[in-house]
Amino acid sequence: MEVKINKQDDVTTIRLIGRLDTPAAQEVGKELTPLQENANGTIILDCEDLSYISSSGLRIFLSLRKAAAVKGGKVIVKNINDSIRNVFMMTGFLNLFEVE
Amino acid sequence: MNAKAKLEERFKRSSMVAALLLVVVAALTLEATSLIQYYYAEKGLKEEATKRAESQLENTKFKIEGVLDQVEATIRNNVRLTQWGFGHLDSLHMITAIIVRENPVVSGSTIALVPGYSRKYPLFAPYSYIDQETGELLSSSLATEEYDYPSKEWFTKPIELDAGYWSEPYVDVGGGEVLMTTYSVPIRDAKGNVGAVLTADVALDWLTNYVGGSKVYPDAFNLVVSRKGEIMVAPIETLVMRKTLQEASKDFENQDKVKAITESMLNGESGMRVVQGKTNSSHVYFAPVERTGWSMSVVIPDKEIFGEIKSIRRLVELLQVLGLLMLVLILSFAAKSQSQYRVMSEKKEKMENELTIARGIQMSMIPKTFPPFPDRNDLDISAMVVPAKEVGGDLYDYFIRDGRLYFCIGDVSGKGVPAALVMAVTRSLFRSVANHEHTSSHIVNIMNKSMAEMNDNNMFVTFFCGILNLEDGHLDYCNAGHNTPIILSGIRRMLDVIPNLPLGIVADFAFKSQKTVLKNDDGLFLYTDGLTEAENINHELFGEERMIEILSTRRDASGHLAAMEKAVNQFVGDAPRSDDLTMLFIHYIMTEPGVIKRHLTLENDLEQIPRLSKFINGIAESKNLDEDLAMNIHLAMEEAVTNSIMYAYPEGVSGDIEVGAIVNDSTIEFTISDHGMEFDPTARPEPDLTTGVEDRPIGGLGIFLIKKIMDSVTYRREKGVNILKLIKNIK
Repeated sequence: MEVKINKQDDVTTIRLIGRLDTPAAQEVGKELTPLQENANGTIILDCEDLSYISSSGLRIFLSLRKAAAVKGGKVIVKNINDSIRNVFMMTGFLNLFEVE
Repeated sequence: MNAKAKLEERFKRSSMVAALLLVVVAALTLEATSLIQYYYAEKGLKEEATKRAESQLENTKFKIEGVLDQVEATIRNNVRLTQWGFGHLDSLHMITAIIVRENPVVSGSTIALVPGYSRKYPLFAPYSYIDQETGELLSSSLATEEYDYPSKEWFTKPIELDAGYWSEPYVDVGGGEVLMTTYSVPIRDAKGNVGAVLTADVALDWLTNYVGGSKVYPDAFNLVVSRKGEIMVAPIETLVMRKTLQEASKDFENQDKVKAITESMLNGESGMRVVQGKTNSSHVYFAPVERTGWSMSVVIPDKEIFGEIKSIRRLVELLQVLGLLMLVLILSFAAKSQSQYRVMSEKKEKMENELTIARGIQMSMIPKTFPPFPDRNDLDISAMVVPAKEVGGDLYDYFIRDGRLYFCIGDVSGKGVPAALVMAVTRSLFRSVANHEHTSSHIVNIMNKSMAEMNDNNMFVTFFCGILNLEDGHLDYCNAGHNTPIILSGIRRMLDVIPNLPLGIVADFAFKSQKTVLKNDDGLFLYTDGLTEAENINHELFGEERMIEILSTRRDASGHLAAMEKAVNQFVGDAPRSDDLTMLFIHYIMTEPGVIKRHLTLENDLEQIPRLSKFINGIAESKNLDEDLAMNIHLAMEEAVTNSIMYAYPEGVSGDIEVGAIVNDSTIEFTISDHGMEFDPTARPEPDLTTGVEDRPIGGLGIFLIKKIMDSVTYRREKGVNILKLIKNIK
């Protein structure tokens, strides 16, 4: 699992590459928690190369989304594949995020 | 101070006073005799000669007994192994080689079967020996027609006497003309019949050197003769083993006296005689070595004894001091040993308690919950130990790792605390070794090596180890001298086993494993010799036939053991039980064809998740599931297993999580089980998906996804195991 973070003005782009399973989520969570500070701007979660997500991965997404809600920013989820879209649908995440 | 301690104190004081008195009286007496001795110097010198001769005889006897003890102990230590060998004749050769190799005093050994004992071989006597010239360990057989071992004294005598027997000495002409003797004992089988004679050959060159070399006076000499009078040690070497004492003494003067001495010696008496000759006379001291029937004698010419009459006084005084010192030593030693005896009887009481504790520890080391794997529908296991009065060394164990059942049964030689300790070591070794090894021969070889290397007490363990692949019934097993298990597959028969050797005897022995396949509904019955050798009042044995008879009725695992226990109890009746009886029954149930069964054991560590991924991918591939379905199943399983990893066991406590899958054409049934705290994930409330972001709870998504993805999610708690069953329709 690899994470690439790119900041430009108030837009933070996070590229997630690989499988976000439970052990990976533990690592990624540590890396992304500080980004809740940037939640007043726009956070883009680019999932083009994300092949799998577990509930602990979803929790990271939800934490960022909650921080954004408090600080008035927004979280955009981009390029999710069909399987993950299906998981988003099951969990009602499609209603919580801007999915492009 | 309590009454007991007071009594002890008083006892100590009074025995010390007595000892002091004794020393004083002895000193006074010796002083008085010293005066008399000065005038009766002759008498004193004679006593001195007697003392020297007797101590020489005493020392020689001590030396001989030391070697005899060593040889007898060697033989004793191998009696059980030889009894085991009756069931494995091909291994007898190995046993004789071990006896010779491990014991420097023993230069040859045979196990000679009683003619007709084996139906296969009329005569059978494997022989191992050290080549005198090269020092090599060689092997051959004494079962030749020319040699005709059943007629030899070493073979017939022990059977006739029903006891260990030391043969007449003989000269081994094979190499270097060494004086030899042979110790042989009859060996009885489990039914009490004499099956063989076990022997150890002992070279006696040390005896010649020791006895021939130590002289009490320059011109004195020593003799050792056998029970028939063969001269074994003498000052004139040409007499040794060529003449008997009777023949050699024919030409002496004063024939009557000499004859009388010879007779007394051959009768095993001890004493002293004076032989008067024309020119000189001699004192002859003699004493027997009862065990071998030998007689030793010290011959001192009189001129040696009375030659230095001037130095008597100093000699006598010196002897007195020495005598006194010895008396003090003996008395203090006697007082000490008496108080030690008292301590010992107190210890005995404590030890009986300790035996109970040893039994307790032992019993706590073997699994006792049945059925042990309530979450599995492909396996039924039951085991039982019926303890004897004394602590024994039986053990069994089993566990499942990665879809394989690792199991073992064993029996430590001997009884009591040492056996219990070796049992505990064996069980721990099995657990630690089997946790890393994948074949039964590796497990047994590694265990044997470490047990042989620390085996100072000549203990050994008969052991059977198996690995059953629960997916396809393939059984890999290795037998280390244990009783042959019974396989219940249509008909009941003995499993085909190579006996190999028991564990702990030869460190570098290469144990061979074997393979077979269990079919659906097959059973495997393992037991220790406490079952087949259970004895009734008439000393009949329960035996294999009765055992197999009991197994021929169809029952489940625990039913078989209960029936067997009942039958043995009826058979034994009121006769005392001398040995632990241990049984293990494994009933294998294979699911119908076309069904795939997989199993995985995980530790409670998130790092194990990739192993789960591989496991699920394997199942998805075998059923050609489409990608979305595979990922959903993957997700649900990861959530369920993560749940167990995170919450089943308290933090810092490691535990296993078992994952099973049964896949047929229409469904996949997963079972996730752990021995952790009771926890029903299905009881958690579902998160409300309609709320906005602020109110959305962060947890609870995992079990929600499981329920969403799977077609059936059920939880049950059974015998301390959390069992979560997930079913997904795949058609």
